[in-house]
Amino acid sequence: MFVRLVADSVTRRPRQKLLTTAALALGMAVATAALSVSLDVGDRLAREFRSLGANLLVTPQADSLPLEIGGVDYRPVNAGAYLPEADLPKLKTIFWHNNIVSFVPVLEFSAAFSQDLAAQHPKYSGQVDNFHEVPVIGTWANRSIRIPDGANFATGAAKTNPWWHIDGSWFSDTVKECVVGRQLAQRYGVKIGDTILLRGREIAPPSTAIIDDTGERVSIRENVAFVVRGLLSTGGPEDNAVVIPLEFAQQMVGKPGKYRKLYVSALTKPEDDFGRRDPKTMKPDELERWSCSPYVSSIAYSIQQVLPGADVRVIRRVAEGEGRILARVRTLLWLVTLAALLAAALAVGASSAASVIERRTEIGLMKALGAGSGTVGFLLAAEQLLLAFMGGGIGYALGILLARVVGEKIFGAAPEPSLLILVVIIGLAAGVTLLGSALPLRRASRYEPAPILRGE
Amino acid sequence: MTAPVGTNRKMFWRIIRRLLFAHRGRLFVILLALGTGAAVTAALLNLQVDAKRRLTTEFRVLGANVIIAARGASDSRDSPKVLIESLFGQLPAENEGIPVTKAEFLYGIVDIAPLDPKEVNAKSHKSAKAVVAGFAIAVGSNYVAHGLEKIFPSTVVEGKNLNFLNVRTCELGQNLASEFQLHPGARLALKYGDAADVCDVSAIRSFGGSEDNQAFLELRAVQTLLKLPGRVSLIQASVPGTPESVGRYIATLAKAIPEADVRPIRQFTEAEARIYDRISGVLTATVAIVLLLTGLCVMAAMTNVAMERRNDVGLMKAIGGASRRVQRLFLAEAALLGLTGGLLGAAAGIALSIGLGKAVFGVAARPRLIVYPVAVALTIIVAIAGAFPLRRLTSIRPASVFRGEA
Repeated sequence: MFVRLVADSVTRRPRQKLLTTAALALGMAVATAALSVSLDVGDRLAREFRSLGANLLVTPQADSLPLEIGGVDYRPVNAGAYLPEADLPKLKTIFWHNNIVSFVPVLEFSAAFSQDLAAQHPKYSGQVDNFHEVPVIGTWANRSIRIPDGANFATGAAKTNPWWHIDGSWFSDTVKECVVGRQLAQRYGVKIGDTILLRGREIAPPSTAIIDDTGERVSIRENVAFVVRGLLSTGGPEDNAVVIPLEFAQQMVGKPGKYRKLYVSALTKPEDDFGRRDPKTMKPDELERWSCSPYVSSIAYSIQQVLPGADVRVIRRVAEGEGRILARVRTLLWLVTLAALLAAALAVGASSAASVIERRTEIGLMKALGAGSGTVGFLLAAEQLLLAFMGGGIGYALGILLARVVGEKIFGAAPEPSLLILVVIIGLAAGVTLLGSALPLRRASRYEPAPILRGE
Repeated sequence: MTAPVGTNRKMFWRIIRRLLFAHRGRLFVILLALGTGAAVTAALLNLQVDAKRRLTTEFRVLGANVIIAARGASDSRDSPKVLIESLFGQLPAENEGIPVTKAEFLYGIVDIAPLDPKEVNAKSHKSAKAVVAGFAIAVGSNYVAHGLEKIFPSTVVEGKNLNFLNVRTCELGQNLASEFQLHPGARLALKYGDAADVCDVSAIRSFGGSEDNQAFLELRAVQTLLKLPGRVSLIQASVPGTPESVGRYIATLAKAIPEADVRPIRQFTEAEARIYDRISGVLTATVAIVLLLTGLCVMAAMTNVAMERRNDVGLMKAIGGASRRVQRLFLAEAALLGLTGGLLGAAAGIALSIGLGKAVFGVAARPRLIVYPVAVALTIIVAIAGAFPLRRLTSIRPASVFRGEA
């Protein structure tokens, strides 16, 4: 009888029920969409923040003090320490290897640069233009490295520094090609396809140095020719530099297999007070909790473990800014979500309250026929719950679609539908409808059947 | 004819009053639905306008985004190009009404040595070359003592953030400090050619960049030391505003000082533009969805309420009410409900948006007055639209209602 009453009530007045269900479904759709976007947005935004570039900088521990102004190191070439390139694949073996988005080693030095006029005009054969001292950066453009677990990992400057714009194309890492900073290219009239010369290390011992026409000793150095593949503009010091493959930079400074700086771009969790603590002062269980959170400093710590002799520093400017903005945006979106949930809950509650209120006559009749207040309340609650499940389910489906549209439009990727949200939404729908009908139901249980049936 | 019209009007309002107050529970429920809708609408619209503006200010935690350097990079190692310091004053003091933080730097390579009689270990007497940076910072057009971290975000590893303009103190980058084993309180000797100076270390900072290898001093001291009075190496500015407005600022400035090279620090400007687009996209989308569906929910609740008026409509028509008048009656009721709900909700919305602004940005959102009439108007429209099914009620045949037919 109970089931029959509930089923009857739903099927007999389909329009009313449809309206309540629609209100429920819509409300829950907002809630679902807002929840899935909020849950997803932190990760997506963290990824967007990688367009700021590296947030970790690795340098040799034993390095002498760099004398760097405006991206140019004024130290003599031989000063300072280097790190082995062969260790780099180990970066992808740390606990947080999935959070390492990309990394790029850099070897900077300064070299004499000239356009190879001979290569362009035969009449210059045998002579080259004046040499100018310019900063040279050796790095990886696009490199696929083999990591210890056997997979390949694509990384390089193009991926680590998304704001580096190339006119033309990047060089390939194994050929003597280069890209030239835009300002440098403008100053010396270098175009894509030209050949430039960089004067590398001495190829003859100093004792055989020759005397030039001004009477000074000049050591013999080899000229290395690079084909210009592209013009680089970064808005930074690289605009005045020549960028060449790391391998040839190593050859030119006589440090095969070495690099001087490593930029690492990692996905991190904004640092809180716990994240800022010094791991040396932590108890073992705290240390474990700390290293199991992807704080930028705990990623730095684990990189330090796999790269012996390296000093891993957090690029504060990127990391702190990122952390603060992410934290703000997350709060903002959670609050908007909360507002959405609140609005949906109240609207749904109001509409289910309205649907109970209009059934006063029915309640009166049932009570006149001998139903207790409890039975009536139970019946109506069951009915509302049925609607809540239907509305919640439809709302969830609608909301997932909505979240998909929003996610794809803004981030180019849809958030994963999550079962947790379904559970939350159904629970919310049930809670809200029950709460919404509770108040009118309580009043209804106090109704005297007679006046209601008389239509008063 | 005047008298009947007057009576009619009186009657009209009397019916409305009875309709509204006959059942207080119902009235409460509808006002709750409408009010919540209006409150959420008002709060979100306000936040939406305010949050975007605040986000661009928030991005300034990334530090400087504009750099002004001498045209053509240093060709020779020994005489780096410098700018005339008066350029610093030519930077517009604000952008979009928010002050610009700007800093001027003069770099030089000098010999430094720790100068502490108590520290007599071998390393402390070592003299070595290091980069010193003289700097001065201004927010808007006023010089300030603090604020290096506004241009180069950093954390203080040791010591305190001191006021050190016009005081003989200096801050050191982490690397430089550990190279010379220096701690706050130590005294440092600086030598450049035949000029010399001393400074007391007040703090040690970690930047995570080449700044870690530098010593930061007051600009005048470095200008005197390097014998470059009135000269700076570069100027950096942290310009607030949307990506487009920062672009306009740069373009205007580049035109005003053609002798210098004004350019955005693309690493930051591009990332900011990208992230700003994403965040404001998410915000707009969420707010739009919430508003749309809040409207629909309220409408559904109103429709539900309207449907139960079948009996009233039947009775009115039976005693001779014209369809149009009956319809007008119910629409007036809906509009009145919308107005009340809207006003109550908008008032709650003001409080809500102030709270939201405080929770997210630490500062209360400035209420935008235009938002509230919009929220009230929207609520009235939604309430009337929700009563729309009443139009169908006018086709009700009184007799069938009284017979109790569904």
